[in-house]
Amino acid sequence: MSSREEIIRALQEVKVPDKAYPGAFTAQVVGVDTLTDFLHSMVVVSTTVIQVKEAADASQALDKHFPNMQRVRLNPLADGLSLADIDVLEIDGDFAVAENGAIWLDDSNLPHRVAPFICQHLVIYVSQKNLLPTLQEAYIRLGDKQTGFGVFLSGPSKTADIEQSLVIGAHGARSLVVVLTEC
Amino acid sequence: MLNHAEASEKFITNQERTDWHDDTLWFVRSKRDKASKLLPEWEALREQASQIKEHMLSNLPQYLLEFEAKAQANGIQVHWAKDAHEHNEIVYSIIQKHGDKALVKSKSMLTEECHLNAYLEQKGIDVVDTDLGERIVQFRKEVPSHIVLPAIHLKKEDVGETFHQHLGTPKGNKDPQFLTEAARIHLREKFLGAKVAITGVNFAVAETGEFVVCTNEGNADMGAHLSDVHIACMGIEKIIPKRQDLGVFLRLLARSATGQLITTYSSHFAKPRAGQEMHIVLVDNGRSRQLARDEFRNSLKCIRCAACFNTCPVYRRSGGHSYHQPVAGPIGSILAPNFDKKANVDLPFASTLCGSCSNVCPVKINIHEQLWFWRQDLMKEGLAPAGKVLGMKLMAWMMSNPSVFRLAGGIGRKVMSWFPFLVNNGMNPWFKQREMPAPPKQSFQEWYKSNRS
Repeated sequence: MSSREEIIRALQEVKVPDKAYPGAFTAQVVGVDTLTDFLHSMVVVSTTVIQVKEAADASQALDKHFPNMQRVRLNPLADGLSLADIDVLEIDGDFAVAENGAIWLDDSNLPHRVAPFICQHLVIYVSQKNLLPTLQEAYIRLGDKQTGFGVFLSGPSKTADIEQSLVIGAHGARSLVVVLTEC
Repeated sequence: MLNHAEASEKFITNQERTDWHDDTLWFVRSKRDKASKLLPEWEALREQASQIKEHMLSNLPQYLLEFEAKAQANGIQVHWAKDAHEHNEIVYSIIQKHGDKALVKSKSMLTEECHLNAYLEQKGIDVVDTDLGERIVQFRKEVPSHIVLPAIHLKKEDVGETFHQHLGTPKGNKDPQFLTEAARIHLREKFLGAKVAITGVNFAVAETGEFVVCTNEGNADMGAHLSDVHIACMGIEKIIPKRQDLGVFLRLLARSATGQLITTYSSHFAKPRAGQEMHIVLVDNGRSRQLARDEFRNSLKCIRCAACFNTCPVYRRSGGHSYHQPVAGPIGSILAPNFDKKANVDLPFASTLCGSCSNVCPVKINIHEQLWFWRQDLMKEGLAPAGKVLGMKLMAWMMSNPSVFRLAGGIGRKVMSWFPFLVNNGMNPWFKQREMPAPPKQSFQEWYKSNRS
């Protein structure tokens, strides 16, 4: 008998009283003001927000934020290693969550899965229309979308493993800028 | 091996460090309180999470098979391991096929439970732990003392010295920012060169065949996305039925663990990248046995947030290593006897049964009650130390004989007031770090007789 069969049989032999699935979570308290909540979360996760009408309007502010650094937008790539030297990577986010600042990125937004992790600094464009109050709404929005890889990303990488001192820029991006567009 | 009380005694010899450990973890617990109170629906979320996990445990084989089928359809290779040894063999055989001698690994308590690192190192594989805290303890040839904060038992001076020895940072430099940067540079090199990456799993979704890995550092993703082979190792209880359930668990996990709103990265792996191999190892290692124990079944609901560690008055003052188990703290103390009752007989006693662990648990595990159930189970099996058994018997005899009880109380009060040195000395464990209370002049019964009769 294979281990698979042994494990399944052992589990089937245990008589566990049946507990019903509770269904979708409904005791939701919707945030008062999604935009305010989102901006607050961005402060909590050490992220700079640039609010503009259209994506193109952000370039001046980004020039100022990343002086003398090359900013790039990339098409899909086969090799992630080549991204290690990129200073600033710009990508589009699908939607964002107000309660925790998490932005959804998946294979359809990313030139390579490692892109938002390996670049030194990251810029993500999100439309204000795509702000959702909580993670619950985010999963409803995601529905059964099939994607090979997806990530909720909230802020730059960080660690507090040395004496609980917060250090921004562990292995992933050292900083995150979110460009929030009106349309 | 030292038992919990002996190891704790060693831990608290440095008062200043003990206080720092205690205060720091209490601070993390306070951040958890703050983050949870921001959500009016917090208690409803806990109840929902608990019910989802209980439902999962009552249908575990079905969900595992559903997960397997969906994951395979997604192009993931699924393996099953009965125990730690088989898990290690499976992982090694995958590595061997690719002929690589080095790999990067992000945090996985399961691989700690299986002692994977030691097994692979014996086979000549260089395992690089990539979580900063885990890398620090790995350099020091120690094990994590906390499942979320692996190096919480160390001070920055210790880390500075370790990095000086292993990474050549200047002696005496203990700046966390500087040391983290040194680790970033050191580990980037490892990430860029590794062909094989191992990660843990926080949640595996039966409905979609995807699994979710949460980190703040981004180390799991750096490893997984740059490797040719990604091996994810998980205990079979990590299954959840539906994707929408992630909306419940991810709202609870980081808030409970560190008081963050969510971890920086919550990565959903469903299919291997083009040209990549993705493996999942599903491990039982005693979980089916625990499932069959009615009183202890729901310890399998645990999502490894460590809120129970941070709140525990014993853990905070005894340190993670005193539990001599990969998972320490209150939850570790109810999981450990399932692996080996005799070796872990001390752990269910390493608690005041105050119940704070159960109060903060995001999936509502009755941890303090299970500690008490284990005590009964271990006593019944005759595994408790002889002194404790004798003491309990004497106590039971005295308590069930009112005249003996009155006599003993009377003697005790007199001895304490006439010969205080008989109790106020190092031989009496109650005297350690404490003042003994002043003996009362009379018993309650005597007082009642003279006042109410």
